[in-house]
Parts: sequence; C-alpha cells; structure tokens
Amino acid sequence: MGKNGDIDPLTNIMSKALRHKIGSIVNENEFYAEKYAKDAENIMNEAERIAERQNWNRDDKAVIKEKLRKKLHKELEEKDFIDNRKFSLMDEEIAKALEAFNLL
Amino acid sequence: MQELTFKKKVSKGSRFNQIYVPKHLENEISAGDEVEVRLIRKKTELYYSKSAKKLSVFKENLIKGVFASLKEFKEVSKIFLIGSFLLEKIDFRDIDIILVAKKETKGLSEKAYNKLINKFNLKFHVISISEQKLSHLLSICPVTRSMFSTYISNKEFVVDKNTSIDKKHLQFLLMLPEDALELDLSSRMFYDSLRRLIVVERFLENKPFGFNIVKSELIKSIGQKLHEKIKNSRSVSEKSIAVLRQEIMSKLAVINGMI
Repeated sequence: MGKNGDIDPLTNIMSKALRHKIGSIVNENEFYAEKYAKDAENIMNEAERIAERQNWNRDDKAVIKEKLRKKLHKELEEKDFIDNRKFSLMDEEIAKALEAFNLL
Repeated sequence: MQELTFKKKVSKGSRFNQIYVPKHLENEISAGDEVEVRLIRKKTELYYSKSAKKLSVFKENLIKGVFASLKEFKEVSKIFLIGSFLLEKIDFRDIDIILVAKKETKGLSEKAYNKLINKFNLKFHVISISEQKLSHLLSICPVTRSMFSTYISNKEFVVDKNTSIDKKHLQFLLMLPEDALELDLSSRMFYDSLRRLIVVERFLENKPFGFNIVKSELIKSIGQKLHEKIKNSRSVSEKSIAVLRQEIMSKLAVINGMI
C-alpha cells in the first residue's frame, strides 16, 4: 500500500489508541488508569507497524498530524462518558505519540 | 533483679488470649509476680477467598514473606494477592499485589514495589487504592469484582454482594471490545476483550464470574483450540478473527440491550 493508502489506517488506529490513553488519564480511577493505558499501548503497537512501512516526509507528517487531530477530536466527542478534561489533553498526547513514531 | 526472659507464642483461651510460663521457670516467675510482655513478631496469616485453591508451601511462605515485608507501611489496612500467581501453577506472569490504604497515599505503590523487588528479586505488580474507592469500585465494576473473585489476603475480607449499575463505567469497559470489531489487533487483545465482555454480561445478569467460569464460557463459545491460541497471543487466521468478531458483536448487542 502507498503512503496515501497508509495515512488513513494509521490515523484511525492512532486516534483510537489516544482515546484510550486520554480516557485512562482523565478517569478518576487510578486503579484502572494503568490497565487502560495498557490497552492504548497495545493498540498503538498496531499503529507502529503501519508507521514503519513508509518513509514519511515533512508534508506527509503535516497531513498525518492534521488528520489525527480531527479524528481524535471526533473520537473523544462521541465518547461522552469520558470526562470533558479530555479535550485539553489532545495536543500534548498527539505530540507525544507522533514523536514516538518519529512523525513530528 | 535478675533479668529473666522467655519467648512463647500467644495461645487462644476461652475468654482471653494467654501466654504460659515455661515449666522450667515456674519457680522464677510465679503467680503474683509482675512481668512485661513485648510483641516481637506479628503472626502473618493468609486468608483464602472461597474460590482460591490451596497453594504449595513454597508459594504460601513467599506470600507470608511479602505480607510481612509490607507491614512497615502503617497506612496499609489490607493486602491482597490476586491474579495469575494464584491461578496458574507455574505459568504466572507476575505477582499482583493490591494495597488497600485507609486513605489515598501518594507514592505508596512505588515504595512498596521497590521494597518487594529489592527483597525478593521477583516480578511484582503493585497497585494501591483507598478503602473508600475499593468499596465503590467493587459495587460498580465487574472487572474489579472479577479480580477479587480469587484472592489471598492478610485479613478476613468479604466482597459485598450489593452492586449498582454505572452506565458510564460500563461503557468505558466496552471501549476495547468495540475497537476490536474494526481494528487489526493482536489475538491476545481479542482474548482480553471477550473475557471482559463475559464478565460484564454476567455482572449484569447477576451471575458469578470467577476466572474458571469465564474461561469455560469462552471455551464453549470459541472452542478450546482458538482459546489457547488467543490466550497465548499466537497468530490466528482471518477466518478465526471473523469468529471472534462475531462473538464480540453478539455479546455487545446483549450488553447494550441491558444498560
């Protein structure tokens, strides 16, 4: 699959992984934070496999960041059971995730 | 006065606990003499939950050692050992410890973890939680109740039978199974998702959901072979993934119909 074909599945998986991660942070329950952070990590491992398939240039990275932001916002909006503090964590968590995949 | 000491274990009397003066000291310490009693070592007892199977002497002694080491943390009111160490003879992943504190204590699990790994050089996983939060979680959370279906603790404990439905919490638990319907995840994540769904469904139906009950139900629905594969995170065919997704979908439909 080409770069364009990989951007959608990559940002789909990353947005879901980040939704889990942010959910684990804002969940008042630290007992579970670790468990859900682990869910996020496992899903992110799947995203990593796609990210590593291509050599992303600066333009690709900008597109990925923008798409990821939109998708994550939609993901978080749909899950109204996650505390509203979720939106304030978006940028920071996106940056961390992209940096981990060398996509920043 | 000559310093006289002896060590004895406290025994249970019909009205009071008691300490007997050894026979050979009966002339030195006799009725009416004044003595001082000092606690040297607190006895460590293990309390098994109903579904916990009796462990080997080695494992029991290890747990006693763990519990004794954690006694220095005065804020801890109860200690639980849960998870695969109790359920698997040898194939356990780590030793899961839950520290219940009278109130929230920052850094408690880290301190306890460091103490344990330095003393025992084993793979521990330590979580701390306040009494109040644990009690709340046990009332609303199927996964927590499932964890506490099999445990060994340092004090007697009974999980309260009363539960309540917290829709938001349940929806949170369902996020992973829902994602498994569309994402290419590792087979182990399908295993975790299906187990979680069975636990949630049985919680809503007020049925028991101990480890082995959930295991049996999962095997019944997807078969022994596929169960073993996904439990051990082995790769599975597209056809098997379709079977797993179908199972997840039907369980989600049942659960969503109940909440």
